[in-house]
Amino acid sequence: MAERKTKKETASTKGTTAAVKKQAPAKAAIGEQPEAKKEARVGVFICHCGTNIAGSMDITAVQDYAKTIPNVAYVDNYKYMCSMPGQAVINKAIADNKLTGVVVAACSPRLHEPTFRTATKEGGLNPFRFEMANIREQNSWVHMHDQEGATEKAKDAIRIAVAKATLLEDLFPKSVPVEKAAMVVGAGIAGMQAALDLANAGIKTYLIEKTPTIGGRMSQLDKTFPTLDCSQCILTPKMVDVGRSENIELMTYSEVESVEGYIGNFDVTIRKKARGVLSMEEGEAMGIVGGGCNGCGDCEAVCPVVLPNTFEEGMKPRKAIYIQHPQVVPLLYTIDFESCIKCDLCVKICGEKKAIDLNQKDEFVKVKVGTAILATGYDMFPVENKTEWGYKRFENVITSLEFERLICASGPTGGHMVRPSDGVAPKRVAFLLCAGSRDNTGNGKPYCSRFCCMYSLKHAHQLIEKMPGVQPYIFYMDIRSFGKMYEEFYYRIQDEGAKFIRGRVSNILEDPVSKNLMVFADDTLLDRPMKLEVDLVVLAAAVQPAADTNRTRKLFGVSCSMDGWLLEAHPKLNPCGTTTAGVFLAGVCQGPKDIPDTVASAEGAASAASIPIHVGHVELEPYFAQCIDEKCAGCGMCVNLCPYSALALVEKDGRKVMQVTEAKCKGCGTCGGFCPGGAIWMNHFATPQIIAQIDAFLLGGEQ
Amino acid sequence: MEAKHKYAFYLGCIAPNRYPGSEAAAIKTSRKLGIELVPLKGASCCPAPGAFGSIDLNVWYAMAARNLVLAEQMKIDIALLCNGCYKSIWEVNHKLKHNDELRDGVNEVLKTIDMEYKGSINVFHLAELLYDKNIVGVDKVRDSVTNPLTGARIAVHYGCHLIKPRKDREFGATEILDTEAPTWMEELVGALGATPVEYRQKMQCCGAGGGVRGYDIVHALDIANEKLINLQEVGVDALTDICPFCQLQFDRGQIEIEEKFGVKYNLPVLHYCELLGLAQGMSPQDLALDLHAISCEPFLQKVL
Amino acid sequence: MARIKGYPEALETKLRDRYMYGEDAHPEFTDTVEKISMTIPHMCYQCGTCTASCPSAPRSSYRIRKFVRRALLGLETEALTDPDLWLCTTCYSCTDRCPRDIAPTDVIMAMRNLAFKRDIIPVNFLKTVQAIYTTGHGVPNNDVNRAARVKLGMDADPPTTHTYKEFIPGIQKILDYYKLKANADRIVKEREG
Repeated sequence: MAERKTKKETASTKGTTAAVKKQAPAKAAIGEQPEAKKEARVGVFICHCGTNIAGSMDITAVQDYAKTIPNVAYVDNYKYMCSMPGQAVINKAIADNKLTGVVVAACSPRLHEPTFRTATKEGGLNPFRFEMANIREQNSWVHMHDQEGATEKAKDAIRIAVAKATLLEDLFPKSVPVEKAAMVVGAGIAGMQAALDLANAGIKTYLIEKTPTIGGRMSQLDKTFPTLDCSQCILTPKMVDVGRSENIELMTYSEVESVEGYIGNFDVTIRKKARGVLSMEEGEAMGIVGGGCNGCGDCEAVCPVVLPNTFEEGMKPRKAIYIQHPQVVPLLYTIDFESCIKCDLCVKICGEKKAIDLNQKDEFVKVKVGTAILATGYDMFPVENKTEWGYKRFENVITSLEFERLICASGPTGGHMVRPSDGVAPKRVAFLLCAGSRDNTGNGKPYCSRFCCMYSLKHAHQLIEKMPGVQPYIFYMDIRSFGKMYEEFYYRIQDEGAKFIRGRVSNILEDPVSKNLMVFADDTLLDRPMKLEVDLVVLAAAVQPAADTNRTRKLFGVSCSMDGWLLEAHPKLNPCGTTTAGVFLAGVCQGPKDIPDTVASAEGAASAASIPIHVGHVELEPYFAQCIDEKCAGCGMCVNLCPYSALALVEKDGRKVMQVTEAKCKGCGTCGGFCPGGAIWMNHFATPQIIAQIDAFLLGGEQ
Repeated sequence: MEAKHKYAFYLGCIAPNRYPGSEAAAIKTSRKLGIELVPLKGASCCPAPGAFGSIDLNVWYAMAARNLVLAEQMKIDIALLCNGCYKSIWEVNHKLKHNDELRDGVNEVLKTIDMEYKGSINVFHLAELLYDKNIVGVDKVRDSVTNPLTGARIAVHYGCHLIKPRKDREFGATEILDTEAPTWMEELVGALGATPVEYRQKMQCCGAGGGVRGYDIVHALDIANEKLINLQEVGVDALTDICPFCQLQFDRGQIEIEEKFGVKYNLPVLHYCELLGLAQGMSPQDLALDLHAISCEPFLQKVL
Repeated sequence: MARIKGYPEALETKLRDRYMYGEDAHPEFTDTVEKISMTIPHMCYQCGTCTASCPSAPRSSYRIRKFVRRALLGLETEALTDPDLWLCTTCYSCTDRCPRDIAPTDVIMAMRNLAFKRDIIPVNFLKTVQAIYTTGHGVPNNDVNRAARVKLGMDADPPTTHTYKEFIPGIQKILDYYKLKANADRIVKEREG
């Protein structure tokens, strides 16, 4: 290994992006480890993991081999190394044998690296002197039927890990301060709940919503299962709370434009789309006395442009200047500039309030937050793609969301449940469950959309309650009523008279005259094909991630699974977190959820997102790159390569050298691998360490 | 018009041996539309996908491959006019092109008759060539009409194997491929000056396929009869199809339905090529319409 | 396997043991069907979309859903001996609509192939084989049609194996390779004498 001179104190960058506070004194020399090199004493601890590992290999043979590896001072094994007694073995061995490095051969570092680092620290060593050899996921589990091969592979893995442990150095995590503000993207019930929780915990929260109003999908619903309380009654007070909360800065008709930074210090640029209407606050700020939009609606009355109202699923008209429904928050009109003909009628009628600005342009606002929550929600799967059911071809085939609007007192029919073709109340209504869900054809969604069973039961109930004599038929494959009081609700709806037919509808035909629908299914329980004439068909269409979820997730560096839903850090133990530190998920954007689960997930995300803010600082893994100034030629090629904008060229001692903003660096190694002069030292993944591992593998036991 | 596109014309069995007017019409009308159909000498039955597919799929692959090799030797693509033939010839070609194991098995058999399947040609149904803008297209079909079938109400029977199973077929864009409510055939009927008529269960099978017509004739006829009832309900002058086997089922089937069920429809059933021939000025004699089991006279009086 | 009760014949039939036993399932049947059909009946969740799409279901006891179930469970004999196996018109409506992306039609075709190996096959299928062996055509030419063709200005026989008979031996070689003609002749003879 090349000798290196003392690296000068890493100058803190301009102080704006990362005020890095060092908790421990920086290491004197990069990569210099005189004691470690001279006398490395490594302990090897082999875990049986019950029979997970021990069942597939010869532990004794592995242990005997480990003793022969150079620099190994101690070897032991235990049934569950991660358990309390297992960790005690490590603690004791460190002290008794004056170990300088620890190797645990067990599971994946994804699972127990933190556990064994702690154990190493408890034993009195720097936690980064620990190295894991994965002999479970990458060995015993995949070579279950090859005892001999698995044993040999475990020996290799341990030898390689020891080679690295021999050269490990003390490292110290960096601590960065956390901005005492949070952001929530999406203001449906998930985003609203998360924002309210954060705000109530005393955290300044920016709530970003792309549409003109908060409320999301839930505000489109009529009643909610299984309690049947009206959606508006429980949602609108929350909307008002959000509007009023001092700690929430609400930005509707706005989208996240760009995100920079890292946990604790995200710099987010928001695009406030031109809505062409000034709020009263904005009016005041511009010095218009008593000006700005007061929601009077005079403009809407004179606007000559008529469009479908998307909130009403297109079943009601709206104007080019509009609010989606009377309960919007904020009560502020918006101009749809794509349709506005700039006739000026609205400007004239608005008069002295001067609330309307037809020449308004998008604005960009920058905010700094410590953590962020994505709550971007869902859209309906375009169920017309399943052409066999004739949605958009047959007037009386509607979606569940359209049903919600039609049965809602504030909906386009004032709550009179009528069918679209003739405005007549239906007598026989078929509900098709799994309309596009649990579908592996590629034209549909492979997953269960999770709340359709329950809302369809609710729909059947609403029909029976509102329209005596109406017969609901529920075509289902399985009724999934798994929540609290859900199965009881299923019992109730069956008792009320809904007919359940276990069969998926194969196709629907329309009578061209009556516009009635012929529904074809197999009553699989009766074992007879069935042809049922109904007046109305309701498709419980699958849900899919909201349209621009993909764009938003990329801005925040969040992954998604195959089906497009955002990927949680761990499906069971970290369902609200993501693999990007400081970014959390709430609600359906992570996967289909009903309202109770959505709210629970939102509260979970808010709680998780508030932790770093309350702690006030976060520790970053010390895996960052460091520049060996003496070797750096100042070419700057690494600066552009860095995916995290963590590198910069600075002037030092009269020449240009590269400098790392440690808090921004994720230790990916792109620069280190590239640097032509070998001037970049990757902490914990240093070239000599990796070469030692490769040598240990290639040279076998004869190093 | 000079022929821009040349195909080996795969005939199958029923068209040349029962409805020769379709064969004559196909050759003549295509020529007017820039397509030259040359004989595929020595072709056999495709072989019948229902019968042979049911007995031993390997024989089906090998027999269809022999027909494909005949065209490969001529180095031209195949055009055909029957959905059943399309199932055999197109699908076996598709399967052999994408499945090495199948192809090797087939070539082992073909070796015994000094043939080798190479996968060097493509297979098309005439109907798809007629609809495809890059080959003919609805507009050119319309332009070729000299005797518009004005006033005739004509319903379409799509049949099954040209478009189903949807996920395996490659015919045109998605909306054409829709097997629930396609309208491309109606466009082709409209181009002839006739009025295309929609009816209940338009996409239902004729009932003849899969060997059912031979196995259980009344079962097969009952399926066809359901469609005839639906057609009678809307009132049509003729039914058109793009499959001689469907044509046989509906045409001769009406005689059998009368015998077995005692109901009579007298609904003329014409292959689209026959309709196109009439619209391009061919006479009923040129089309041997007198061979049809159900007289086309009332329909002809309306359009001639 | 179903218990034999040892009753007089009429009662043995009437009181036949109708339990489904674990041993009735033959996983190798599932595998064979999947290999021939190149589809995945073991993924069926019994939604009935296939049967509801089937033009044969409403006029018979044929339930394609049950055949897919038998494929999944490996109920070989039950599947292959059911005469309903031969009522599929191969319209592929079930295949188009199956949400599990199974091709039930091809499951039926595979089962028919396996039934034929047990000599279970309606004779009409075999007569097509015999016709093709002799003429190359499943529906051969006849005199009425020959006359009509001549009137149309065409050759009396189409330019297929009807005109080019030298291709027929090749066809016969292919069919003989699979012993199809011999088997067809044998089975037809057994049935019809």
